[in-house]
Amino acid sequence: MAKPTTIRIPEDLLNEIDRFVQESKLDRSAYLREVLRKGFSLDKQDRLLLKYVRKELSQMEVCKELKWNPWEFLTQLKTRNLYLNVELEDWLDAAELPP
Amino acid sequence: MAKMVADSSSLILLAKCSLLEIVCDLFDVIVPKSVNIEVASEDLVKNYPDAALISDLTSKGAIKVQSPGSDRLTLPVSLHKGEEDALLLAIKLGRSLFITDDGKAIKAARFFKVPFIVTPKIVVELFRLQKISFKKARESLEKLGKIGRYSPEIIADALVSLMERKNGKTNNHKDTRRPFK
Repeated sequence: MAKPTTIRIPEDLLNEIDRFVQESKLDRSAYLREVLRKGFSLDKQDRLLLKYVRKELSQMEVCKELKWNPWEFLTQLKTRNLYLNVELEDWLDAAELPP
Repeated sequence: MAKMVADSSSLILLAKCSLLEIVCDLFDVIVPKSVNIEVASEDLVKNYPDAALISDLTSKGAIKVQSPGSDRLTLPVSLHKGEEDALLLAIKLGRSLFITDDGKAIKAARFFKVPFIVTPKIVVELFRLQKISFKKARESLEKLGKIGRYSPEIIADALVSLMERKNGKTNNHKDTRRPFK
């Protein structure tokens, strides 16, 4: 069930939203809920991936938080032009294979 | 046969650069059950061909599933269950190599002084040990850059290392490498 909340929005942004909602014949509340959900989802992904890049989260910790499977993870990195959080030092420090 | 314990990140990359089968032929590849579920659950096998390959190798016994036991580690950093189980298994087995392509898992491996290896290093090493051709090694490194999202800096260094191996030269970073004993 939806719960009410109050936030302050800059007047110019609110005017722009109202104008757009009217022109597009959208329900204002439903539209704002949808925008909030979409924005939150994208922002959460960006912030958690930033934590991954900084090694604050592991690959599977990110996958768990975002409900991704590990096969999807690499595609998501590619979409954002991000790389694995392995550093040059890790590659240089890696052991050799036994003969 | 030397033992190698893999986490999800490395199993996926080894499969994506078509080296998982050869690594399983040459080494005892062991994973905890949690890793097996993370990469090759029933749903994933239906949707990802490489997940089906991992599942197939597991059912043939080429990838062994082993429990790390009920003891837990006091980690310096948090890890997800599969990563933690794989590290714990590598510690418990002793004289085993931890394969991971996750920076945070590497951080934990360093803390416990567990020897680790990353997939680009496996590629260069397989060529050094004459288990794969130069062409295959180069293609695998290119895949690790494009599909595997390895940084261009590491892929460039790995390609230089590969060329040096081909030309019989010593790697500039030899003093920083740790032989696995």
